[in-house]
Amino acid sequence: MNAPLANSGRGSWQQFELSIGCVPLRLQMSDAQLFGAASARYAAFTDAAAQPIAIALNDGAPAEGAPVDFRYEFEGAVLRALSSGIRFDGVKNQYALDSLLRVFLSWKLLEHQGFLLHAATVTRHGKAYLFTGKSGAGKSTVATLSPEGSVLTDEISLLRREEGVWRAYGTPFWGEFKAAGSNSSAPVAGIFRLLQAAENRVEALRPMAILRALLPNVLFFSADAQANRQLLEIVSQASTEIAGYTLSFRKNRTFWEVLPT
Amino acid sequence: MSTSAAVFWQKNPALAWREIDDETVIISPNDSVMHELNDTGSFLWKNIDGKKSAAELAELLVENYEVTPDMALSDTQALLEEMSSRKLVVTVPATGGVSP
Repeated sequence: MNAPLANSGRGSWQQFELSIGCVPLRLQMSDAQLFGAASARYAAFTDAAAQPIAIALNDGAPAEGAPVDFRYEFEGAVLRALSSGIRFDGVKNQYALDSLLRVFLSWKLLEHQGFLLHAATVTRHGKAYLFTGKSGAGKSTVATLSPEGSVLTDEISLLRREEGVWRAYGTPFWGEFKAAGSNSSAPVAGIFRLLQAAENRVEALRPMAILRALLPNVLFFSADAQANRQLLEIVSQASTEIAGYTLSFRKNRTFWEVLPT
Repeated sequence: MSTSAAVFWQKNPALAWREIDDETVIISPNDSVMHELNDTGSFLWKNIDGKKSAAELAELLVENYEVTPDMALSDTQALLEEMSSRKLVVTVPATGGVSP
């Protein structure tokens, strides 16, 4: 569902609504150049949802001493989750906005039994296959070797547990594709830890091994102990409920032949 | 860091941890470092509660694993030293409170 990019009633402020992993957001800003860049960048994720989370960009310094639920600073840009709303300040460009959005989502997803994962997600026969690993592991290679239209993201996947089912969502946070992912989701078939090799082979992993493979690739930025306990609980649950494998693969399409269906 | 019998041990309250398949994963939120404990390490971790000394933890190890008392105490002290150096555990004096 597309929503118009609308001018708000607040002077020169502009806003648009989007949804990432079913988390509805409303970005509000007065910087026309940033607005143009952001609305183009997230166009595929534009969505008008009831009661989106309002994020005010560069709205001036918040009141001194205001209680902050979560704060994160990145290269001069500051995210503050206040009881009065979400603030991104010092955002000078699209890159900073994109970074703070990832940080915010990684924190907000705790409420939704979800997390962000360095992983490419490709759909096949209605199921999501996640390929995880650090930069260079082969995420973009897998995405490139997959049919057009089947890639939800080549870089950062979003997982949520919904009514007992783990679903993977595309995100607008791209890797080498240099293009936004798909704003859609599918139930997870499996998570594959990537290893480039001479032969294609899959090896099933025990839950502990899955957790060990997932944790270094989870995006999370809070140093709060309670938040980290929540995150570990969620990722542990995913490790016990989602089938996980090591995928040794050659750099061609034949790796699909060894994947479990 | 002393591992004498007069000192009790407790988990660093700032940590997150989870046990799966008889192994334990511990996360240090401040530095996002992941630590892992094997079967016996997980057993000791579960029993580190701020009320037991190294010697008492070693006794539990003897009761549950095929290990001599001397070896159990040596292994327990070594693990506590290692975990202490990684700030996974802290000592509690007999008078209560966490030592600096």
